[in-house]
Amino acid sequence: MIRNVSKLLSKTKNIGTQTKQNNQQDLKPQDFLYHDFDQNVETFRSIYVNCFDVMFRSFLLYGKTRALVIYIVGLSNTNGIEDFVLYPFMKETANEEQSFHKLLENQMPVSMVKRINTFTECIQSIATGYPILLCEGENDAFSLGLCKWEKRGIEEPAAEGGIRGSREGFNESLGINTSLIRRIIKSPALKMQPMRIGEYTETAVVLAYIEGLADKGLIEEISNRLKRIKIDGILESEYIEEMIEDNSYSPFPQILSTERPDIACANLLEGRAVILVDGTPFSLVAPISFFSLIQSHEDYYQRPLMGTLIRWLRYFFLGISLLLPSLYIAILTFHQEMVPAALLLSMAASREAVPFPAIVEALIMEISFEALREAGVRLPKQIGSAVSIVGALVIGQAAVQAGLVSAPMVIVVAITGIASFMIPRYAAGMAIRMLRFPIMLFAGTLGLLGIMMSIIAIAIHLCSMRSFGEPYLSPLAPLKFRELKDVLWKSPLWMMDTRPHFTGESNTHRQSPGLAPSPKQGGDQSE
Amino acid sequence: MEKGKISSLQMAIMIYPTIVATAILGVPAITAKYAKNDLWLSPVLASFIGFVTVYIVHQLHKLFPNQTVIQFSEQIMGKVGGKMLGFLFLFFYIPNIGQLIRSYGEFIVDSFLIKTPISLVMGSMVLLCAFVVNGGIEVLGRVAELFFPILIIGLIILITLLSPDFEFKNIFPMFEGGIMPSIKGAIVPSAWFTEFFLLIFLLPFLADQEKGMKYGMMSVFAVMMTLVVVNLSVYFVLGETTSSKVYPVMNAVRYISLADFFDNLESVTMALWILGAFVKISVFYYVAALGTAQWLNLSDYRPVIWPLGILFVEFSFWSFPSAMETSRYDIIAFPIYGFLMQTVIPLFLLVIAVVRKRLGKKSKLS
Repeated sequence: MIRNVSKLLSKTKNIGTQTKQNNQQDLKPQDFLYHDFDQNVETFRSIYVNCFDVMFRSFLLYGKTRALVIYIVGLSNTNGIEDFVLYPFMKETANEEQSFHKLLENQMPVSMVKRINTFTECIQSIATGYPILLCEGENDAFSLGLCKWEKRGIEEPAAEGGIRGSREGFNESLGINTSLIRRIIKSPALKMQPMRIGEYTETAVVLAYIEGLADKGLIEEISNRLKRIKIDGILESEYIEEMIEDNSYSPFPQILSTERPDIACANLLEGRAVILVDGTPFSLVAPISFFSLIQSHEDYYQRPLMGTLIRWLRYFFLGISLLLPSLYIAILTFHQEMVPAALLLSMAASREAVPFPAIVEALIMEISFEALREAGVRLPKQIGSAVSIVGALVIGQAAVQAGLVSAPMVIVVAITGIASFMIPRYAAGMAIRMLRFPIMLFAGTLGLLGIMMSIIAIAIHLCSMRSFGEPYLSPLAPLKFRELKDVLWKSPLWMMDTRPHFTGESNTHRQSPGLAPSPKQGGDQSE
Repeated sequence: MEKGKISSLQMAIMIYPTIVATAILGVPAITAKYAKNDLWLSPVLASFIGFVTVYIVHQLHKLFPNQTVIQFSEQIMGKVGGKMLGFLFLFFYIPNIGQLIRSYGEFIVDSFLIKTPISLVMGSMVLLCAFVVNGGIEVLGRVAELFFPILIIGLIILITLLSPDFEFKNIFPMFEGGIMPSIKGAIVPSAWFTEFFLLIFLLPFLADQEKGMKYGMMSVFAVMMTLVVVNLSVYFVLGETTSSKVYPVMNAVRYISLADFFDNLESVTMALWILGAFVKISVFYYVAALGTAQWLNLSDYRPVIWPLGILFVEFSFWSFPSAMETSRYDIIAFPIYGFLMQTVIPLFLLVIAVVRKRLGKKSKLS
């Protein structure tokens, strides 16, 4: 649309210059508003031809000067326009000659008024819901802060729940999202760089970071990568993610997406950057390491011991989710000697009737489980129960009774499924889900050797990956002893006195050292 | 050529599995053959060679801080002599890697995947190593860093699980035949310790070069301790029969039985050992690729990775007809060959370099 507009503008401009404008205006960029009111109105009408939702309301200021308000129905506050713009100017008659600017100052009770003087700015202003006011004899238009559109209220984040911690989640409106962050981090060091991406959608994108904590080079890099995007539209933050990430063909996400303001703020405080995109509750966090993906916000809202324990449980089940079916296949096919005799006997007994080799059996089960899961995600809620009944009956019971699948296999698939739900980040869970299948194939052909080969291959891949210059497996490889406190275990908060260090320089200390609670500190003032 | 930097800790962690991975497989048996129940002393004696090698490497590195042996041997020996020496090194390492891959394949096929073609086992390993070498020294360092704790913890757990079967009296009487058996037993392990010469290819890429020597020595010490512990545990379990086994650690692991559930952990041991073998082959592979590229004056070593990989697999078939032949080579040829290439020639280079430097200084002064 903008391209057309500028074409149009240049056309009208030519006419304008023909109808004798002063030479100075030729030197200015093309799309400045004209002196002539009629010409401006004409241009806007031609820009918004066939746009029925754009309203042109012309009126007379104090019965004398012609004026025009342009707004989009549903984006702007119609009542506000009536009460604060039309009413005061139409009702009263001017007692004395006042300059237009004075009039605005004194007669119009609108708090946010911005003076703009190009067509582009006017169009942007109208499109974002700010009505513009044009006036005869004025070079400039006025963008009025009277926008009001329908938006969802702040709700509990659907995909990232928890027991303890804030229940607020981001929603689709960028203004609300930035305010949620600003409400947590009040320091002016929190910077928010706005930009617009998408030729047609003109989606507002905000790059937030804390000055002094985030590395300048990093912010520059992210902002450069964002500016490089030339695309017709941004519908979700995934569009941005795919455009700025380092390695598109990796199954592992290199950017964290979150709909929780507290997670975004925690990352901002660690010197990372947050990218907020209008129209989606999911904000992006970069750079991240693999371990950010398997940490949950609740680790920090729990007692450190519990946090550590649950973190290890999660690591363990991450391994289960990746490897259990493959181990089952490998052991049953190649390494039966590893299984204790009694267990082997019972497994063999249950597998007796099964006509498939373990690998085929596992693939059938895993694929149908994935299908069930995928079907469940986008199903209307009313049918949801049907899927679970069918899944439980068909996969669970009927398959075993029919002798198509052995009962241990069902258990393995079920545990794997539960394990994959334990990964707090959905995107990371997806990566593990995907990688499970090639590993199963290798386990079916080469046994434990195949599993080890797959693990080595994944390790090589993870070790060679970077997220905005940050090694993906840091702080484990390359090893950073000081940062293991938040990865291998969760230290008490008073021990976490240093921030993780990415590339470049950063502010390292997050709190004063020696905050350990002890009888000597605080409370007892008797000494 | 290589823009990455590693830390000296990463270097030590890379070189440790490079020595230990194959050393714990067959070497306890060979050592036991000569040293009998004094086999625990042999790695200590053999490590002397390791310390000397690291010292030589470090001295050479100090003289030519940013160069590998392929590059600076040209400065020491002149253009032609240096190229010849470089070729000699490459001709040592490339077949050596072939032999490494072969012994890896033999081990896997002999013990676990009896019906799997050995070429598949070896080829898949070379492929993975090629990937990691392609990633550069940083990736190699990180992968090693990731696997190192798994190896160490795995080893500790295995030895702990084995401990109920220890017969401590197996190592008595000590020094029955004097110190000579231990020294004889140290000859073969010393060949493994000469492999610390590989450090000369890694030292130029250290971010903290001043710590290179320290971590190199620590690595030698760690390898020595590991071998002592492994030799002892194996001998505690197997006693005099140690020397008759091909892979005594594997035989010992079969004794593990815990709570009637953890039986027959050979496969797990094999799985862990694969990680070590992978690091070992990758480090050798990297060195060979880097050395070849430097020898050919290429600007990047990545183009030679695939040709070298094919060459390695070929060499693994050319080098030895059987596992027995491999072990014969390990006992008879490699201690001398490795010692010559990785300790004597470097020492020789060092002497020439120092003498030349002295002479150069004198001529400058006069």
